[in-house]
Amino acid sequence: MRRVSSIALNTFRESVREKLLFVALIFGGILTLSTYLLSPLAVGAKQKIVTDVSLASISILGVLAAIFVGSTLVRKEVDKKAVFMVLTRPVSRLQYLIGKFIGVVMAISLLVLVMTGFMVLMMLIGKAEFKPALFVAVYLSALEITVMCSVVIFFSTFTTPVLTLLFSMCIFVAGSLSGDLLAFAQKFGGAFTRIMARAFHYILPNLGIFNLRHEAVHDLPFFGSDVALATLYALVYCGVVLYFAYLIFRRREFI
Amino acid sequence: MDVLAVDNIKKSFRREISLARKEVLHGLSIYVNSGEILGFLGPNGAGKTTTIKIILGLIKPDSGEVKIFDHPVGDRRAMSRIGYLPELPYFYPHLSLEEFLTFCGQMSGMERRVLRHRVDEVIRLVELADHRYRRLKDFSKGMIQRAGLAQAVLHDPDLLILDEPFSGLDPMGRIQVRDILLGLKDRRKTIFFSSHILPDMEALCDRACIINEGTVVRWASLDELTRMGEGKIEVATRYCGADVLEDLTDYVESTDSLGDESFLVVKEQKYLRTVLMHLLNNGAEVLRVENRHPSLEDVFISEVSGVRKGRDGDGMKQPDRTLLQEG
Repeated sequence: MRRVSSIALNTFRESVREKLLFVALIFGGILTLSTYLLSPLAVGAKQKIVTDVSLASISILGVLAAIFVGSTLVRKEVDKKAVFMVLTRPVSRLQYLIGKFIGVVMAISLLVLVMTGFMVLMMLIGKAEFKPALFVAVYLSALEITVMCSVVIFFSTFTTPVLTLLFSMCIFVAGSLSGDLLAFAQKFGGAFTRIMARAFHYILPNLGIFNLRHEAVHDLPFFGSDVALATLYALVYCGVVLYFAYLIFRRREFI
Repeated sequence: MDVLAVDNIKKSFRREISLARKEVLHGLSIYVNSGEILGFLGPNGAGKTTTIKIILGLIKPDSGEVKIFDHPVGDRRAMSRIGYLPELPYFYPHLSLEEFLTFCGQMSGMERRVLRHRVDEVIRLVELADHRYRRLKDFSKGMIQRAGLAQAVLHDPDLLILDEPFSGLDPMGRIQVRDILLGLKDRRKTIFFSSHILPDMEALCDRACIINEGTVVRWASLDELTRMGEGKIEVATRYCGADVLEDLTDYVESTDSLGDESFLVVKEQKYLRTVLMHLLNNGAEVLRVENRHPSLEDVFISEVSGVRKGRDGDGMKQPDRTLLQEG
């Protein structure tokens, strides 16, 4: 456990010292601040604009940062042979991958935390009311980012950073739409399309379940059981994806 | 018990594009005794780094077996007793030297209190105390090499595997690393290191294993290594007649002429005085006397040609394990 936490801490340190994370942070800050300037355009909906843009920024920038940071981390260590320093010691490849995953999640969580701070600041300035759904939406976004981190780590064990980036982006888009695609196929598709849509729905991450932005912005009710289910889903999905990543990484030769 | 036993390993890699595989190790066997320094000598592409990576579990062999302290490759009990320095090391540039060594110690499972003490010790050992808090990205090549040695010895391993430990070091750095390794030898640590520089081998090794094209071509004792590294004396002379050169045939190995200059390779050191006296007494002008150390290429040309001859004839025999261990 100590080895995993050391790898995670080292990865976190590396990610935080990467300029990319700061670029995302600055970009997110500007985006959140811009809502303050845009809000007068929407008469009577100032609160909604701030919440909507802030939550969308957290989700999208968080996922993008996870993809960009995660896609280079493992591969760079393998290419530059820094990974030899770890794998030639009594450390298993599974411990290495889990450590990397936790490190990236920790770094992106910091980004989410700071961006949430920006959002809270904007809401305080606008004297807005804080609803629990707002923070639950942020929590679900963090889970969505965690799932994407595991996907990025999976691809980075066997392909190049560019392809990892590309595949992860595709998975993010497809995963965000997988629920809609399944519903569409069930309604209008043939038997084969329905089977395929169902298969993709189970293989791809169902990122739709992490989206509570609509409820948070419009102050709609939500179910605690949905949040618990989303948490369980994220844990299981990450575990399965990381296990497959390990199966590939275990066979990998460092030529 | 052998500290390290590499038994008949074979490894092939798939060529790019084509499906054909190229065998890079052809049944290589190496046995390292406890407390010895074994040099692993070979030209670029001989299979040294591939062998080391197989020993460390970074690459899997197609066949054959590797045992470290009688444990299979990858076994935690074995891995915790190994210190490794890769060729052209790259370490986490975002870390300071202290952070990096602490991280390495944690990976080796060292206790916090012991680790702190050892980090201080190894930083002093490699003389990088002034750079303790400096990030590794600002280190020179030689400093990185020394930092690499520091992490390799940090957990006080029983077996050190060093891939080209002298590359990137200036003369002072080389002496320093040699002294560190000799100090470890005094403490009965086993060292297995690869190099393609003969003088390094002579200075450190008890034995050397010379490989070429994925095969052991020769095992050499310290005496043999020293003999390999002994130079040949070349005398450059001017105005030396053919008759004078003919008088020296018993003392010189070869002669070569270019214009009015002649170049003589003296057979042995003890004949040098005779050769010089003869040349000077016969009106020749001695331009220079040089001690020419053979390059690794020279050694390989002689060793490899021997192997090829063997293959063409009776075939290359696998080294006899008992003889090898006697060194």
